[in-house]
Amino acid sequence: MAPLTPYTYFQCPCSDPSTQARPGDATGADEVEDDERTFDPRAPRSNYSLYPLEYLLFCEDCQQIRCPRCVAEEIVTFYCPCCLFEVPSSNIKSEGNRCTRSCFQCPICVGPLSVASHESQSDPNLLPAPDNAAPPPHAGSFILTCSYCHWSSTEVDIKFDKANGIHAQLAKIRNGGATRLTAKERKERRKDLLHAGSASAAAAVAPRPEETPVDGQDLDLETQFSNLKFFYQSQLIDATSGNSGLTSLSDLGFSSPTSLSRIMNIYTGGSLHDKKSKSRVGTMREALDSDEGLKLADLDESGAIEKLQEEGYDGTISTKQRLSQPPHLGELHLHGNSRFTSQLRPIPYLLRTKRAKRCPLCRHIISKPEAKVATTRFRIRLVAGNYVPSISIRPLNMPSASSPALSPPQDTLQPLKPVQFLLTFKNPIFEPVKITLATPARTPGRFASKVTVLCPQFEIDANTDVWDEALMKDGDKDNRKRRKASADENGQYQAEAGKIWERGRNWVSIVVEVVPASLRLDTLAITSPAAAEGEAIDTGPIREDEDVLEIPMFVRVEWEADTAGDDIGSALNKEKDGKEKRELAYWCVLGLGRVGQP
Amino acid sequence: MSRRPPRGEYIETDTGNKVARKATLVGTQNIMLGGKTVIQPEVMIRGDLVRSVQSSSSASSSTGAPANNTAVSIGRYCFLSRGCCLRPSGRLYKGAFTYMPLRMGDHVFVGAGSVVQAASIGNHVHIGAKVVVGELAIIKDYVRVLDGSVIAPNMVIPSFSIVAGQPARVIGEVPEGGHEDFELREMYKTVGNNVNPAPS
Repeated sequence: MAPLTPYTYFQCPCSDPSTQARPGDATGADEVEDDERTFDPRAPRSNYSLYPLEYLLFCEDCQQIRCPRCVAEEIVTFYCPCCLFEVPSSNIKSEGNRCTRSCFQCPICVGPLSVASHESQSDPNLLPAPDNAAPPPHAGSFILTCSYCHWSSTEVDIKFDKANGIHAQLAKIRNGGATRLTAKERKERRKDLLHAGSASAAAAVAPRPEETPVDGQDLDLETQFSNLKFFYQSQLIDATSGNSGLTSLSDLGFSSPTSLSRIMNIYTGGSLHDKKSKSRVGTMREALDSDEGLKLADLDESGAIEKLQEEGYDGTISTKQRLSQPPHLGELHLHGNSRFTSQLRPIPYLLRTKRAKRCPLCRHIISKPEAKVATTRFRIRLVAGNYVPSISIRPLNMPSASSPALSPPQDTLQPLKPVQFLLTFKNPIFEPVKITLATPARTPGRFASKVTVLCPQFEIDANTDVWDEALMKDGDKDNRKRRKASADENGQYQAEAGKIWERGRNWVSIVVEVVPASLRLDTLAITSPAAAEGEAIDTGPIREDEDVLEIPMFVRVEWEADTAGDDIGSALNKEKDGKEKRELAYWCVLGLGRVGQP
Repeated sequence: MSRRPPRGEYIETDTGNKVARKATLVGTQNIMLGGKTVIQPEVMIRGDLVRSVQSSSSASSSTGAPANNTAVSIGRYCFLSRGCCLRPSGRLYKGAFTYMPLRMGDHVFVGAGSVVQAASIGNHVHIGAKVVVGELAIIKDYVRVLDGSVIAPNMVIPSFSIVAGQPARVIGEVPEGGHEDFELREMYKTVGNNVNPAPS
């Protein structure tokens, strides 16, 4: 098992039930409850509220931590991650969320596809003229190739006439090289059909039922949809013009006008809804032929089975490959949903966004990137790391080897052997802060480790300029840079309760002593605190990551800020002018390491 | 490579570059270092793979004037870990094969044992250990490439991406608070003759 590097996660207040109930309350009011309720890092809910510090933002107006889950996002820019061109949001509506330039991903391995010129096999037979071989690239002489897995679009028989505008070209080609109708062409074809259809309608109606299935084979998904849509629309128009007055019972079911218009609203973007729908009653017929969108299911799977026998499992596509395929592109119909790798099409790149983030409560913007794709600057970027003291953990190495019991283990923590860890708090703000820590004496969960914070209350100096310290007098420097080496006369350092270990310009290290729990299930009955209270004990096998020693810790930060100070926003209690007291309290989780298993 | 009296593990230049004596730099005249860059032992930089065809109009002639012969250019505060290799990539340009220069921005970390054949790497990029960056790939700013990834040739990785896999794909975004982690100033200080007295 990989050794675990110590980590610190912070809890966002958005998942805290007490703050959810009364969001307007000051943190002080909730303090009493918070003190009594211990945060359990193993609770299923905690998964969603714990973040490393760098993922968290900070709202200056609410004076609260904000996590990626609770902020409201706004899209600033759409851009293609491949060509890095910005896509205006109007194009998103009309063209969809994929790059419409020549950016494609390999359908097999998702590597980028590049356009390459393709020498067709017939070329050498035709004329082996070397002098004008380069200039005339015509008629299917470009292909898309993946330089990672060597897939190329020739495998699905797709070739392009031009080296640019691949997306538009691909939209017209089906796998195998057959042409595919675009939306515009489909519309035109429909118009032609209408004109022709009205003339020959009477003659065509009678012999239709037998012929239609054959007719419908070339009906691809998009044509079918548009045919169906047109058919139902015309049906609806007929129904409104027709008489009304049947019972409302017929308003249910799939073939009634109201449910039909409702369904069409869902699938076609809601422009069809009209107020008169309630008055329309009566059943309507369903589509009868392929012009109306009828498509008989092709239940003959023998072709697919044969192919499967031929190509084997390797010829089929994985779920990931199938999901990465853009919807409704190149599929002939629903039943022939691409199941073989030979049916996959190049994937146009999904667009990516730059997003601004707002505080969920006060709606202030807490993060806003520059709109241009090329720049990486942010206009506003209020990250929690600039407001909340960071906590770093490392095992405390005793300089002397006098106490082997305290020596930190290499990769796992020894059960029931006390270990000391050094927590270093770094103050990012320009005021000295006072920090109060609280941990439960025993960690929550089945295997309760004992935790002692040797110095739960301390102050950290302000994050002053580096030069301030350099220019400071020597005496001051000594005063600030004192090392907690109380047992120095014995030649060894000893962590002492109530005193900090080490202190620097804007950081303080303290010691936490932990007695990891034994992971033995047979002794659980004796060691578990639940057993003492006579509760039932879960003696199931050790679950995933249950051997990780995680300590919930409540951190309260207090400091005095200038009311006029612009770096930290509005006030919590504004009675005094000049200086005001601020405080911030939150839970965090310290992951110290894995406990060795017996 | 010149031998100097203080036999440290690194050669420290005037601009603050720390180049390990055991690094293999081929074609040093074509390698540009921006300063404060650390090159650890066993690193290989192929400066000899220089552009052979200048971007002139005639396709066949490779006699172009030596206008810009930089094969590898590296910005400031880059950190090339032990055993990594920087190699300019090549391609056909107007019918002739030529190498393209490899440009690397500032604060680029390249992990141990990685092979970089990119066309360009932006600023503040972290490339993990045992990564292969394919030919003519373009990595923009603030990108984190996790260990063991294989970036497909010609791939473009936009800014603020976290990339992993074989072939690499974008698996996440660098959070707003994570920008400072790409700074390599502190790491630069940890390496050198005075700090690190030759553990070889």
